[in-house]
Amino acid sequence: MRQQGSLKCLFPRRDGPTLDAVLVNTAGGLTGGDAFSIAARAGAGSALTLTTQAAERAYAARSGETARIVTRLDVASGARMTWLPQETILFEGCALKRRLTVTLAPDATALVVEPLVFGRRAMGEELRAASLDDRIEIRRAGKPLYLDAMRLCGDIAAQLDRPHVAAGARALVSLVHVGPDAEARLAPLRAMLPRSGGVSLIGDDVLALRLLAPDSHALRQVLIPALTLLTGNPLPRCWMT
Amino acid sequence: MATGARIPMHIDPVLTLAQWLSPAYPVGAFAYSHGLEAAVEAGGVRDGATLKDWLATVLWHGAGHNDALLLAAAWHAETRAELDRIDASARAFAASRERLLESAQQGTAFCIVTGAIWDGGFADYTYPVAIGAAAAREALPLPLTQAMYLHAFLSNLVAAGQRLLPVGQTEGQAMLRRLTARIPALAEATAKGDLARLSGTAFLTDIAAMHHETQTTRIFRT
Repeated sequence: MRQQGSLKCLFPRRDGPTLDAVLVNTAGGLTGGDAFSIAARAGAGSALTLTTQAAERAYAARSGETARIVTRLDVASGARMTWLPQETILFEGCALKRRLTVTLAPDATALVVEPLVFGRRAMGEELRAASLDDRIEIRRAGKPLYLDAMRLCGDIAAQLDRPHVAAGARALVSLVHVGPDAEARLAPLRAMLPRSGGVSLIGDDVLALRLLAPDSHALRQVLIPALTLLTGNPLPRCWMT
Repeated sequence: MATGARIPMHIDPVLTLAQWLSPAYPVGAFAYSHGLEAAVEAGGVRDGATLKDWLATVLWHGAGHNDALLLAAAWHAETRAELDRIDASARAFAASRERLLESAQQGTAFCIVTGAIWDGGFADYTYPVAIGAAAAREALPLPLTQAMYLHAFLSNLVAAGQRLLPVGQTEGQAMLRRLTARIPALAEATAKGDLARLSGTAFLTDIAAMHHETQTTRIFRT
Protein backbone atom coordinates (compact mmCIF):
# COMPACT_ATOMS: atom_id res chain seq x y z
CA MET A 1 0.00 0.00 0.00
CA ARG A 2 1.22 3.49 -0.82
CA GLN A 3 -0.44 6.71 0.27
CA GLN A 4 0.41 10.34 -0.21
CA GLY A 5 -1.24 13.69 0.58
CA SER A 6 -4.59 14.04 2.29
CA LEU A 7 -6.03 10.73 1.12
CA LYS A 8 -5.45 7.83 3.53
CA CYS A 9 -6.53 4.25 3.60
CA LEU A 10 -7.52 2.33 6.74
CA PHE A 11 -8.17 -1.37 7.22
CA PRO A 12 -10.59 -1.78 10.12
CA ARG A 13 -10.66 -5.29 11.50
CA ARG A 14 -13.80 -7.17 10.81
CA ASP A 15 -14.58 -10.83 10.96
CA GLY A 16 -15.32 -12.18 7.56
CA PRO A 17 -13.80 -13.52 4.43
CA THR A 18 -13.31 -10.20 2.65
CA LEU A 19 -10.89 -7.35 3.20
CA ASP A 20 -12.48 -3.98 3.89
CA ALA A 21 -10.53 -0.86 3.11
CA VAL A 22 -11.79 2.58 4.11
CA LEU A 23 -10.64 5.68 2.25
CA VAL A 24 -10.33 8.81 4.36
CA ASN A 25 -9.92 12.30 2.95
CA THR A 26 -8.23 14.06 5.86
CA ALA A 27 -8.75 17.43 4.15
CA GLY A 28 -12.52 16.94 4.58
CA GLY A 29 -13.37 17.66 0.95
CA LEU A 30 -12.12 18.73 -2.42
CA THR A 31 -11.89 22.00 -4.21
CA GLY A 32 -10.61 23.29 -7.53
CA GLY A 33 -7.06 22.22 -8.29
CA ASP A 34 -7.18 19.18 -6.00
CA ALA A 35 -6.20 15.97 -7.74
CA PHE A 36 -6.87 12.62 -6.12
CA SER A 37 -5.73 9.37 -7.58
CA ILE A 38 -6.83 6.00 -6.23
CA ALA A 39 -5.62 2.66 -7.53
CA ALA A 40 -6.51 -0.71 -6.06
CA ARG A 41 -6.14 -4.28 -7.20
CA ALA A 42 -7.94 -7.39 -6.01
CA GLY A 43 -5.51 -10.26 -6.61
CA ALA A 44 -6.52 -13.65 -7.97
CA GLY A 45 -9.31 -15.23 -5.93
CA SER A 46 -9.48 -12.39 -3.40
CA ALA A 47 -12.37 -10.17 -2.32
CA LEU A 48 -11.88 -6.48 -1.63
CA THR A 49 -14.45 -3.94 -0.47
CA LEU A 50 -13.53 -0.27 -0.76
CA THR A 51 -15.61 2.37 0.92
CA THR A 52 -15.18 5.88 2.32
CA GLN A 53 -15.25 6.95 5.95
CA ALA A 54 -17.62 9.82 5.23
CA ALA A 55 -19.43 11.46 2.36
CA GLU A 56 -17.02 13.18 0.00
CA ARG A 57 -17.61 16.89 -0.46
CA ALA A 58 -16.87 18.86 -3.59
CA TYR A 59 -16.66 22.50 -2.47
CA ALA A 60 -16.73 25.69 -4.50
CA ALA A 61 -13.78 26.01 -6.84
CA ARG A 62 -12.10 29.18 -7.96
CA SER A 63 -12.99 30.15 -11.49
CA GLY A 64 -11.29 27.92 -14.04
CA GLU A 65 -10.06 25.36 -11.51
CA THR A 66 -11.38 21.83 -11.41
CA ALA A 67 -11.09 19.14 -8.74
CA ARG A 68 -10.14 15.79 -10.25
CA ILE A 69 -10.53 12.25 -8.97
CA VAL A 70 -9.14 9.37 -10.97
CA THR A 71 -9.86 5.89 -9.67
CA ARG A 72 -8.55 2.70 -11.23
CA LEU A 73 -9.66 -0.68 -9.95
CA ASP A 74 -8.17 -3.86 -11.26
CA VAL A 75 -9.88 -7.17 -10.51
CA ALA A 76 -7.89 -10.35 -11.19
CA SER A 77 -9.13 -13.80 -12.08
CA GLY A 78 -11.75 -15.16 -9.70
CA ALA A 79 -11.60 -12.01 -7.58
CA ARG A 80 -14.47 -9.82 -6.40
CA MET A 81 -14.34 -6.04 -6.09
CA THR A 82 -16.94 -4.03 -4.22
CA TRP A 83 -16.63 -0.28 -4.81
CA LEU A 84 -18.94 1.24 -2.27
CA PRO A 85 -18.10 4.87 -1.49
CA GLN A 86 -20.56 6.93 0.50
CA GLU A 87 -22.26 9.84 -1.25
CA THR A 88 -20.33 12.51 -3.04
CA ILE A 89 -22.02 15.80 -2.15
CA LEU A 90 -21.74 18.62 -4.65
CA PHE A 91 -21.71 22.15 -3.23
CA GLU A 92 -22.62 25.37 -5.00
CA GLY A 93 -19.76 26.55 -7.20
CA CYS A 94 -17.99 23.19 -7.35
CA ALA A 95 -16.22 21.95 -10.46
CA LEU A 96 -15.60 18.22 -10.29
CA LYS A 97 -14.24 15.86 -12.88
CA ARG A 98 -14.14 12.15 -12.05
CA ARG A 99 -13.04 9.07 -13.89
CA LEU A 100 -13.68 5.61 -12.48
CA THR A 101 -12.26 2.74 -14.52
CA VAL A 102 -12.72 -0.86 -13.47
CA THR A 103 -10.84 -3.56 -15.34
CA LEU A 104 -12.13 -7.08 -14.90
CA ALA A 105 -10.48 -10.42 -15.64
CA PRO A 106 -12.87 -12.67 -17.61
CA ASP A 107 -14.16 -14.45 -14.50
CA ALA A 108 -13.91 -11.57 -12.04
CA THR A 109 -17.03 -10.13 -10.42
CA ALA A 110 -17.77 -6.63 -9.20
CA LEU A 111 -20.28 -4.37 -7.55
CA VAL A 112 -19.78 -0.70 -8.41
CA VAL A 113 -21.87 1.95 -6.68
CA GLU A 114 -21.66 5.75 -6.98
CA PRO A 115 -24.16 7.84 -5.00
CA LEU A 116 -24.30 11.56 -5.81
CA VAL A 117 -26.04 14.38 -4.00
CA PHE A 118 -26.71 17.62 -5.88
CA GLY A 119 -26.75 20.09 -2.99
CA ARG A 120 -28.02 19.37 0.51
CA ARG A 121 -31.71 20.08 0.22
CA ALA A 122 -32.30 19.99 3.99
CA MET A 123 -29.83 22.88 4.33
CA GLY A 124 -31.55 24.85 1.58
CA GLU A 125 -28.55 24.46 -0.71
CA GLU A 126 -29.07 24.49 -4.47
CA LEU A 127 -26.60 24.18 -7.33
CA ARG A 128 -27.11 27.27 -9.48
CA ALA A 129 -23.58 27.48 -10.87
CA ALA A 130 -21.59 24.26 -10.67
CA SER A 131 -20.13 21.64 -12.95
CA LEU A 132 -19.80 17.89 -12.92
CA ASP A 133 -18.07 15.75 -15.51
CA ASP A 134 -18.40 12.16 -14.35
CA ARG A 135 -17.62 8.92 -16.11
CA ILE A 136 -17.70 5.27 -15.07
CA GLU A 137 -16.24 2.65 -17.37
CA ILE A 138 -16.11 -1.06 -16.66
CA ARG A 139 -13.96 -3.07 -19.06
CA ARG A 140 -13.51 -6.78 -19.58
CA ALA A 141 -11.29 -8.56 -22.07
CA GLY A 142 -10.22 -5.27 -23.61
CA LYS A 143 -13.77 -4.14 -24.29
CA PRO A 144 -16.10 -1.75 -22.50
CA LEU A 145 -18.82 -3.65 -20.68
CA TYR A 146 -20.55 -0.63 -19.13
CA LEU A 147 -20.09 3.03 -19.82
CA ASP A 148 -21.86 5.85 -18.09
CA ALA A 149 -21.14 9.53 -18.55
CA MET A 150 -22.87 12.58 -17.19
CA ARG A 151 -21.92 16.19 -17.78
CA LEU A 152 -23.92 18.82 -15.97
CA CYS A 153 -22.95 22.45 -15.99
CA GLY A 154 -24.46 25.75 -14.89
CA ASP A 155 -27.86 25.79 -13.19
CA ILE A 156 -27.90 22.10 -12.31
CA ALA A 157 -30.90 22.51 -9.98
CA ALA A 158 -33.03 23.84 -12.86
CA GLN A 159 -31.92 20.96 -15.08
CA LEU A 160 -32.77 18.39 -12.41
CA ASP A 161 -36.19 20.01 -11.93
CA ARG A 162 -37.20 19.20 -15.51
CA PRO A 163 -39.93 16.54 -15.45
CA HIS A 164 -38.12 14.00 -17.65
CA VAL A 165 -34.62 14.65 -16.32
CA ALA A 166 -35.03 14.12 -12.58
CA ALA A 167 -38.39 15.75 -11.71
CA GLY A 168 -36.83 17.64 -8.81
CA ALA A 169 -34.70 14.82 -7.36
CA ARG A 170 -31.40 15.85 -5.77
CA ALA A 171 -29.85 12.44 -5.13
CA LEU A 172 -28.94 9.78 -7.64
CA VAL A 173 -27.17 6.47 -7.56
CA SER A 174 -25.64 4.48 -10.38
CA LEU A 175 -25.04 0.83 -9.56
CA VAL A 176 -23.57 -1.96 -11.65
CA HIS A 177 -23.35 -5.59 -10.64
CA VAL A 178 -21.25 -7.99 -12.69
CA GLY A 179 -21.49 -11.66 -11.83
CA PRO A 180 -23.11 -14.97 -12.77
CA ASP A 181 -26.02 -14.21 -10.41
CA ALA A 182 -26.96 -10.97 -12.22
CA GLU A 183 -30.09 -12.38 -13.85
CA ALA A 184 -31.28 -13.95 -10.59
CA ARG A 185 -30.97 -10.56 -8.85
CA LEU A 186 -33.09 -8.71 -11.40
CA ALA A 187 -36.59 -9.54 -10.14
CA PRO A 188 -35.89 -9.03 -6.40
CA LEU A 189 -34.23 -5.67 -7.12
CA ARG A 190 -37.11 -4.56 -9.34
CA ALA A 191 -39.51 -5.33 -6.52
CA MET A 192 -37.56 -3.04 -4.16
CA LEU A 193 -37.49 0.01 -6.42
CA PRO A 194 -39.91 2.94 -6.43
CA ARG A 195 -41.05 4.47 -9.76
CA SER A 196 -38.03 6.76 -9.64
CA GLY A 197 -35.69 3.78 -10.02
CA GLY A 198 -35.05 1.18 -12.66
CA VAL A 199 -32.88 -1.88 -13.18
CA SER A 200 -31.98 -3.76 -16.34
CA LEU A 201 -29.91 -6.74 -17.38
CA ILE A 202 -27.72 -5.01 -19.96
CA GLY A 203 -25.54 -8.10 -20.54
CA ASP A 204 -25.80 -11.79 -19.68
CA ASP A 205 -24.05 -11.16 -16.37
CA VAL A 206 -24.30 -7.38 -16.10
CA LEU A 207 -27.01 -5.61 -14.20
CA ALA A 208 -27.36 -1.81 -14.22
CA LEU A 209 -29.50 0.10 -11.75
CA ARG A 210 -30.29 3.77 -11.52
CA LEU A 211 -32.29 5.41 -8.79
CA LEU A 212 -33.35 8.98 -8.11
CA ALA A 213 -34.55 10.31 -4.76
CA PRO A 214 -35.44 13.70 -3.27
CA ASP A 215 -32.34 13.64 -1.02
CA SER A 216 -29.61 11.38 0.32
CA HIS A 217 -31.74 10.12 3.20
CA ALA A 218 -34.49 8.92 0.88
CA LEU A 219 -31.87 7.46 -1.46
CA ARG A 220 -30.36 5.37 1.35
CA GLN A 221 -33.75 4.00 2.37
CA VAL A 222 -33.89 2.15 -0.93
CA LEU A 223 -30.17 1.72 -1.59
CA ILE A 224 -29.17 0.05 1.67
CA PRO A 225 -31.60 -2.90 1.34
CA ALA A 226 -30.62 -3.26 -2.32
CA LEU A 227 -26.92 -3.37 -1.42
CA THR A 228 -27.53 -5.83 1.38
CA LEU A 229 -29.33 -8.08 -1.11
CA LEU A 230 -26.49 -7.85 -3.61
CA THR A 231 -23.57 -8.31 -1.21
CA GLY A 232 -25.23 -10.83 1.09
CA ASN A 233 -23.44 -9.02 3.93
CA PRO A 234 -24.10 -6.12 6.23
CA LEU A 235 -22.65 -2.90 4.81
CA PRO A 236 -19.29 -1.63 6.06
CA ARG A 237 -19.73 -0.10 9.51
CA CYS A 238 -18.97 3.48 8.44
CA TRP A 239 -22.12 3.41 6.27
CA MET A 240 -24.24 2.90 9.35
CA THR A 241 -23.07 5.74 11.54
CA MET B 1 -26.83 -10.34 -55.10
CA ALA B 2 -25.25 -6.93 -55.33
CA THR B 3 -28.00 -5.18 -57.21
CA GLY B 4 -26.65 -2.04 -58.72
CA ALA B 5 -23.43 -2.00 -56.67
CA ARG B 6 -21.23 -1.41 -59.68
CA ILE B 7 -23.57 0.76 -61.68
CA PRO B 8 -21.91 4.15 -61.99
CA MET B 9 -24.40 6.78 -61.08
CA HIS B 10 -24.39 10.09 -59.36
CA ILE B 11 -27.03 10.63 -56.75
CA ASP B 12 -27.32 13.82 -54.75
CA PRO B 13 -26.30 13.14 -51.09
CA VAL B 14 -29.61 14.46 -49.80
CA LEU B 15 -31.44 11.82 -51.82
CA THR B 16 -29.27 8.95 -50.56
CA LEU B 17 -29.88 10.12 -46.99
CA ALA B 18 -33.59 10.58 -47.69
CA GLN B 19 -33.66 6.95 -48.79
CA TRP B 20 -31.68 5.60 -45.80
CA LEU B 21 -33.59 7.62 -43.24
CA SER B 22 -37.04 7.27 -44.75
CA PRO B 23 -39.63 5.34 -42.69
CA ALA B 24 -39.80 3.05 -45.74
CA TYR B 25 -36.16 1.92 -45.33
CA PRO B 26 -36.51 -1.49 -43.69
CA VAL B 27 -34.91 -0.92 -40.27
CA GLY B 28 -38.25 -1.15 -38.48
CA ALA B 29 -37.95 2.17 -36.65
CA PHE B 30 -41.73 2.28 -36.13
CA ALA B 31 -41.46 -0.63 -33.67
CA TYR B 32 -39.41 1.35 -31.13
CA SER B 33 -40.67 4.05 -28.78
CA HIS B 34 -37.40 4.64 -26.85
CA GLY B 35 -39.27 4.14 -23.58
CA LEU B 36 -42.01 6.64 -24.46
CA GLU B 37 -44.65 3.95 -24.11
CA ALA B 38 -43.66 3.44 -20.45
CA ALA B 39 -43.60 7.21 -19.81
CA VAL B 40 -47.14 7.41 -21.21
CA GLU B 41 -48.33 4.53 -19.07
CA ALA B 42 -46.86 6.13 -15.94
CA GLY B 43 -48.57 9.42 -16.82
CA GLY B 44 -45.42 11.54 -17.15
CA VAL B 45 -46.23 12.07 -20.82
CA ARG B 46 -49.95 12.69 -21.25
CA ASP B 47 -50.53 15.38 -23.91
CA GLY B 48 -48.85 17.45 -26.58
CA ALA B 49 -47.02 19.74 -24.15
CA THR B 50 -45.53 16.92 -22.07
CA LEU B 51 -44.66 14.96 -25.22
CA LYS B 52 -42.75 17.94 -26.60
CA ASP B 53 -40.82 18.36 -23.35
CA TRP B 54 -40.02 14.63 -23.31
CA LEU B 55 -38.75 14.84 -26.92
CA ALA B 56 -36.63 17.92 -26.18
CA THR B 57 -35.10 16.15 -23.16
CA VAL B 58 -34.24 13.05 -25.20
CA LEU B 59 -32.89 15.20 -28.02
CA TRP B 60 -30.53 17.36 -25.96
CA HIS B 61 -29.76 15.28 -22.88
CA GLY B 62 -30.14 11.73 -24.15
CA ALA B 63 -29.95 9.73 -27.36
CA GLY B 64 -30.30 12.73 -29.69
CA HIS B 65 -27.05 14.27 -28.47
CA ASN B 66 -25.23 10.97 -27.96
CA ASP B 67 -26.27 9.35 -31.24
CA ALA B 68 -25.20 12.50 -33.07
CA LEU B 69 -21.79 12.22 -31.36
CA LEU B 70 -21.43 8.51 -32.13
CA LEU B 71 -22.49 9.08 -35.73
CA ALA B 72 -19.89 11.84 -36.10
CA ALA B 73 -17.18 9.70 -34.46
CA ALA B 74 -17.93 6.89 -36.92
CA TRP B 75 -17.97 9.34 -39.85
CA HIS B 76 -14.48 10.58 -38.87
CA ALA B 77 -13.06 7.09 -38.17
CA GLU B 78 -10.23 6.10 -40.46
CA THR B 79 -9.89 2.42 -39.72
CA ARG B 80 -12.10 -0.57 -39.14
CA ALA B 81 -10.50 -1.00 -35.69
CA GLU B 82 -11.53 2.55 -34.79
CA LEU B 83 -15.10 1.88 -35.91
CA ASP B 84 -15.12 -1.31 -33.83
CA ARG B 85 -14.04 0.68 -30.76
CA ILE B 86 -16.70 3.34 -31.31
CA ASP B 87 -19.34 0.65 -31.72
CA ALA B 88 -18.20 -1.08 -28.52
CA SER B 89 -18.58 2.23 -26.68
CA ALA B 90 -22.05 2.72 -28.18
CA ARG B 91 -23.14 -0.71 -26.91
CA ALA B 92 -21.63 -0.20 -23.45
CA PHE B 93 -23.30 3.21 -23.20
CA ALA B 94 -26.82 1.85 -23.79
CA ALA B 95 -28.81 2.70 -20.66
CA SER B 96 -30.93 -0.45 -20.61
CA ARG B 97 -31.49 -3.78 -22.31
CA GLU B 98 -34.19 -2.42 -24.62
CA ARG B 99 -32.14 0.65 -25.49
CA LEU B 100 -29.39 -1.68 -26.64
CA LEU B 101 -31.92 -3.76 -28.58
CA GLU B 102 -33.29 -0.65 -30.30
CA SER B 103 -29.88 0.54 -31.44
CA ALA B 104 -28.46 -2.90 -32.27
CA GLN B 105 -31.49 -4.22 -34.20
CA GLN B 106 -31.90 -1.12 -36.35
CA GLY B 107 -28.15 -1.11 -36.96
CA THR B 108 -28.14 -4.75 -38.04
CA ALA B 109 -31.07 -4.19 -40.39
CA PHE B 110 -29.45 -1.08 -41.86
CA CYS B 111 -26.14 -2.86 -42.42
CA ILE B 112 -27.78 -5.85 -44.15
CA VAL B 113 -29.88 -3.78 -46.56
CA THR B 114 -27.25 -1.12 -47.23
CA GLY B 115 -24.50 -3.70 -47.67
CA ALA B 116 -26.60 -5.49 -50.30
CA ILE B 117 -27.35 -2.38 -52.35
CA TRP B 118 -24.29 -0.17 -51.98
CA ASP B 119 -20.75 -1.59 -51.88
CA GLY B 120 -20.92 -4.62 -49.61
CA GLY B 121 -18.85 -5.40 -46.54
CA PHE B 122 -20.73 -3.50 -43.86
CA ALA B 123 -19.97 -4.75 -40.38
CA ASP B 124 -22.77 -5.23 -37.90
CA TYR B 125 -22.80 -1.92 -36.05
CA THR B 126 -25.29 -0.11 -33.83
CA TYR B 127 -27.56 2.27 -35.75
CA PRO B 128 -25.78 5.65 -35.36
CA VAL B 129 -22.35 4.05 -35.92
CA ALA B 130 -23.64 2.23 -39.02
CA ILE B 131 -25.13 5.43 -40.46
CA GLY B 132 -21.95 7.41 -39.78
CA ALA B 133 -19.71 4.73 -41.33
CA ALA B 134 -21.96 4.34 -44.38
CA ALA B 135 -22.22 8.10 -44.91
CA ALA B 136 -18.43 8.45 -44.82
CA ARG B 137 -18.04 5.67 -47.39
CA GLU B 138 -20.50 7.34 -49.71
CA ALA B 139 -18.82 10.71 -49.10
CA LEU B 140 -22.02 12.22 -47.76
CA PRO B 141 -21.54 15.43 -45.76
CA LEU B 142 -21.55 15.02 -42.00
CA PRO B 143 -23.82 17.93 -40.94
CA LEU B 144 -26.51 16.81 -43.37
CA THR B 145 -26.19 13.18 -42.26
CA GLN B 146 -26.49 14.17 -38.59
CA ALA B 147 -29.41 16.50 -39.27
CA MET B 148 -31.36 13.95 -41.24
CA TYR B 149 -30.62 11.21 -38.71
CA LEU B 150 -31.89 13.41 -35.87
CA HIS B 151 -34.91 14.45 -37.89
CA ALA B 152 -35.81 10.81 -38.60
CA PHE B 153 -35.31 9.96 -34.91
CA LEU B 154 -37.63 12.77 -33.80
CA SER B 155 -40.18 12.14 -36.53
CA ASN B 156 -40.41 8.49 -35.53
CA LEU B 157 -40.94 9.40 -31.87
CA VAL B 158 -43.58 12.03 -32.74
CA ALA B 159 -45.40 9.31 -34.68
CA ALA B 160 -45.05 6.96 -31.68
CA GLY B 161 -46.48 9.70 -29.46
CA GLN B 162 -49.43 10.10 -31.80
CA ARG B 163 -50.18 6.40 -31.60
CA LEU B 164 -50.05 6.48 -27.79
CA LEU B 165 -51.71 9.81 -27.01
CA PRO B 166 -54.58 11.97 -28.18
CA VAL B 167 -52.17 14.18 -30.14
CA GLY B 168 -53.43 15.09 -33.58
CA GLN B 169 -51.51 15.10 -36.87
CA THR B 170 -51.29 18.88 -37.05
CA GLU B 171 -50.16 19.23 -33.45
CA GLY B 172 -47.54 16.49 -33.98
CA GLN B 173 -46.15 18.11 -37.11
CA ALA B 174 -46.07 21.54 -35.46
CA MET B 175 -44.07 20.02 -32.59
CA LEU B 176 -41.70 18.36 -35.05
CA ARG B 177 -41.16 21.65 -36.87
CA ARG B 178 -40.28 23.48 -33.65
CA LEU B 179 -37.86 20.77 -32.51
CA THR B 180 -36.33 20.53 -35.98
CA ALA B 181 -35.30 24.17 -35.75
CA ARG B 182 -32.75 23.22 -33.08
CA ILE B 183 -31.26 20.26 -34.94
CA PRO B 184 -28.50 22.18 -36.77
CA ALA B 185 -27.20 23.55 -33.45
CA LEU B 186 -27.06 20.04 -32.03
CA ALA B 187 -25.30 18.72 -35.14
CA GLU B 188 -22.74 21.49 -34.89
CA ALA B 189 -22.16 20.89 -31.18
CA THR B 190 -21.44 17.20 -31.81
CA ALA B 191 -19.67 17.44 -35.19
CA LYS B 192 -16.21 16.53 -33.90
CA GLY B 193 -17.46 13.19 -32.61
CA ASP B 194 -15.45 13.60 -29.40
CA LEU B 195 -16.69 10.70 -27.28
CA ALA B 196 -15.34 12.39 -24.13
CA ARG B 197 -18.46 14.54 -24.54
CA LEU B 198 -20.91 11.64 -24.23
CA SER B 199 -23.43 12.51 -21.53
CA GLY B 200 -26.67 10.91 -20.53
CA THR B 201 -28.70 12.99 -18.11
CA ALA B 202 -32.24 12.27 -19.33
CA PHE B 203 -32.42 10.07 -16.25
CA LEU B 204 -36.16 9.53 -16.02
CA THR B 205 -36.43 8.66 -19.71
CA ASP B 206 -33.76 5.98 -19.15
CA ILE B 207 -35.56 4.68 -16.06
CA ALA B 208 -38.84 4.56 -18.04
CA ALA B 209 -37.05 2.51 -20.72
CA MET B 210 -36.15 0.03 -17.94
CA HIS B 211 -39.76 -0.06 -16.75
CA HIS B 212 -40.91 -0.87 -20.27
CA GLU B 213 -39.25 -4.29 -19.95
CA THR B 214 -42.04 -5.43 -17.64
CA GLN B 215 -44.91 -3.43 -19.11
CA THR B 216 -47.76 -5.87 -19.74
CA THR B 217 -49.73 -4.02 -22.41
CA ARG B 218 -47.41 -2.78 -25.12
CA ILE B 219 -47.46 -2.09 -28.83
CA PHE B 220 -43.78 -1.10 -29.12
CA ARG B 221 -40.66 -3.24 -28.68
CA THR B 222 -39.04 -0.56 -26.49
